[in-house]
Amino acid sequence: MTLHSRIFPVLLIRDQGLVKTRRFGEDRYVGDPMNAVKIFNEKQVDELAIFDIDATVQGREPDFAQLEKIAVESRMPLCYGGGVTTAEQAARLVSIGYEKVSISAAALDRPELIAEMAERIGRQSVVVTLDVRKEGLLGNHNLYTHNATKKQSAKAIDFAARAEELGAGEIVINSIDRDGMTDGYDLKFAKAVRDTVNVPLSFVGGAGSIADMAKLIDAVGTVGAGAGSMFVFKGPYRAVLISYDRPDNAREMT
Amino acid sequence: MSEPGSDRAYQICANCVMDTSDAMIQFDEHGVCDHCRDIRENVLPEWETGPKGRAQLERMANDIRKSGKGKDFDCILGMSGGLDSSYMLHLIVTELGLRPLVFHVDGGWNSDLAVNNIQMLVDKLGLDLYTEVINWEDMRDFQLAFFKSGVPHLDIPQDHAFIATLYHFANKHGIKYIINGGNISTECVRNPKEWLYYGTDMAQINEIRRRFCTRPLAHYPFSSVLFHKVYLRYLKGVKVVKPLNNLPYTRELAIDTLTEQYGWRAYPQKHFESRFTKFYEGYWLPTRFGYDTRRVQYSSLILTGQMTREEALSKLAKPAYDPNTIDDEFEYIANKLRISVDELRSYHEMPKKWYWDYPNQEAMFDFGAKVLKAIGVERSIKR
Amino acid sequence: MICIVEYGSGNVGALANLLKRRRIPFFISGNSSEMAKADRFILPGVGAFDPTMEQLLQSGILAALEQEVVGKGKAVLGICVGMHLLAEGSEEGTRPGLGWVPGYVRKIDASKRNRPPLLPHMGWNSLLPQMEHPLLNGIDCDRGFYYLHSYFFDASDDEHVMARVRYGDELPCAVTRGNVFGVQFHPEKSHENGERLLQNFAELA
Repeated sequence: MTLHSRIFPVLLIRDQGLVKTRRFGEDRYVGDPMNAVKIFNEKQVDELAIFDIDATVQGREPDFAQLEKIAVESRMPLCYGGGVTTAEQAARLVSIGYEKVSISAAALDRPELIAEMAERIGRQSVVVTLDVRKEGLLGNHNLYTHNATKKQSAKAIDFAARAEELGAGEIVINSIDRDGMTDGYDLKFAKAVRDTVNVPLSFVGGAGSIADMAKLIDAVGTVGAGAGSMFVFKGPYRAVLISYDRPDNAREMT
Repeated sequence: MSEPGSDRAYQICANCVMDTSDAMIQFDEHGVCDHCRDIRENVLPEWETGPKGRAQLERMANDIRKSGKGKDFDCILGMSGGLDSSYMLHLIVTELGLRPLVFHVDGGWNSDLAVNNIQMLVDKLGLDLYTEVINWEDMRDFQLAFFKSGVPHLDIPQDHAFIATLYHFANKHGIKYIINGGNISTECVRNPKEWLYYGTDMAQINEIRRRFCTRPLAHYPFSSVLFHKVYLRYLKGVKVVKPLNNLPYTRELAIDTLTEQYGWRAYPQKHFESRFTKFYEGYWLPTRFGYDTRRVQYSSLILTGQMTREEALSKLAKPAYDPNTIDDEFEYIANKLRISVDELRSYHEMPKKWYWDYPNQEAMFDFGAKVLKAIGVERSIKR
Repeated sequence: MICIVEYGSGNVGALANLLKRRRIPFFISGNSSEMAKADRFILPGVGAFDPTMEQLLQSGILAALEQEVVGKGKAVLGICVGMHLLAEGSEEGTRPGLGWVPGYVRKIDASKRNRPPLLPHMGWNSLLPQMEHPLLNGIDCDRGFYYLHSYFFDASDDEHVMARVRYGDELPCAVTRGNVFGVQFHPEKSHENGERLLQNFAELA
């Protein structure tokens, strides 16, 4: 009984409301973020990740007012990403109650930001999130930003290693092609990333059941297993009903 | 019209616990109110919970099953996570073998307890759930509009959304039977109209929207309910069925069965599955208007022999809200609505208004009352 | 009454919210003149050691705080980097710490772990109490607390280690010396266990 895998819901915010996407595309309104946060709080979830999916595309900075309200209610650690481009913003987020701050496009745009943030808020709070799409005949894992519209030249695995070098405390791999599909995580790729970096890792995209999470943990060891659709939808009609559960092997001996 | 009943001396029914906070209440020479008389004379004698009632239930179930042959669903049921709708779902699936489309309307105020209860029930029964999530920005604006209007019936935004969603799904899937958890056992006494006005009076709703909303409410599921009611009821032949009236339904029975079979957890009071409704009925209505809906609920239980008048009176002597946590609740509601505590308090203190202070279609609704009651336009429909 | 020390580091908001919900009387202050009003203190802290120590010094409340804690023996609970400040110093920086609990803050030796992830120590981890203490009453040790750090408090004296956490080695995660307490984890972000611990702190004799 020691370090547990982190099983965490992923909340996507658009126009101040919560949405769920499919392959980063069609979105569905899911409700008021405050209510979801309250309920996850009551369910005592391990961690919560919140992403403002339009901030970067719209060139906006984080909605600090809304985020502060969310933080004040939360009894669990929070990670926020979306529109963060400076260490200053990161520091502000930490001061209002976010344990971790995630950057994605900003890191690819200017990798030095990773080091700047690590310097300012501490390495443990710097998260680099990579939106990855498996495509083509060779099944390459390509990096994208701006809601999967801008393809990057860097390769996902290479950049993960570089991000770690520059000072990232956690790498989150977000699978575009598995997003909202509830078909399981991309285990092969997960293993490849695990073999490349030593920092804590989290995977998002594909979780359809607790069994999927158990498989991920079996494949890569103690890890962060994020889920969006799984904790928010229920049944074949994708009814919106918030739930939370952990696989048995989340509490494992390491 | 001034505050209703302000010139009356206080009086409480000798039989139940309804009192002059219901401004229209009438008492006979024994001090017994008109609710009691009406129910004793017109409702209780017709109430069949024995074998006859069971037979009625079976016939009803047969009709429903027949009408649903070859379709995905044979009936529709709205689930709030509350006691009545939960028990009803259990009943129709396990004992009557019906195949309901189960839906839940998320107005943004679900308590964790409600979400858990719905999940456990739906999982255990192997059913699939539909949900309608009301756009929060619209719901919030709509609710604030009602606060600003000063009227008692603040829960119309939640109620109306429920009814509109019900009709939408029923219409979409060609479902002819609406299962309603309304029941005589715990609800024979109705909430006075002054307290909880009709949730589907579009004249009233539209006026309040026009005067106090700041958004067009483009995503809110408005239903031209009257049209649907007439259309569905008389042309498409949709029927409303209240199975809980055909058996000896009691709160005890419901809670015991659900807890035992589903791990269902009880709420401290009726309607507490929604944090807003809990605040609204537990605190706002009693403290702002003197309307305590517990009076109505307990009176029903008294008339159906599930509570003594003494018990009711002793419970009513304590507030319906917890004085220790009410400040937190107040703050929670204000925060959720994104207004200051002071602003919320100002709505609480503002001059009182009632439905007649705004345009309304009361006359038409009263006239069509039988139709509307059958379809369950009152709050009971969401149980 | 608890004083949550506000000196520019640490998440005061969630702490305040938690104490409020639990009806534990408290006030937030960065003002020396107000320190005497409290009967115990919470010292939060996030970020790196040097900047945090710097902020504490700049705030001007250290003297008053020291007077209350060291002089008058009032209890203080350091959280995360707030706990690190209680040490004599840190490998993470060059500034001296407060020295209220003998020991040094060192980098976690992750080589002791046999597989990744290595650093930072991130996630919920079980608690291994090293002594009976009212601060730990009612805690679900298996569930533990949430950790997010790469440096830990290496107490010089085992007697001061209230609890450990297994991460490679068994690292001290809660320390105490007399009226001074420190916890590595974030009680305000550890759900029920955290609330319990803060409640226990409020009720300490």
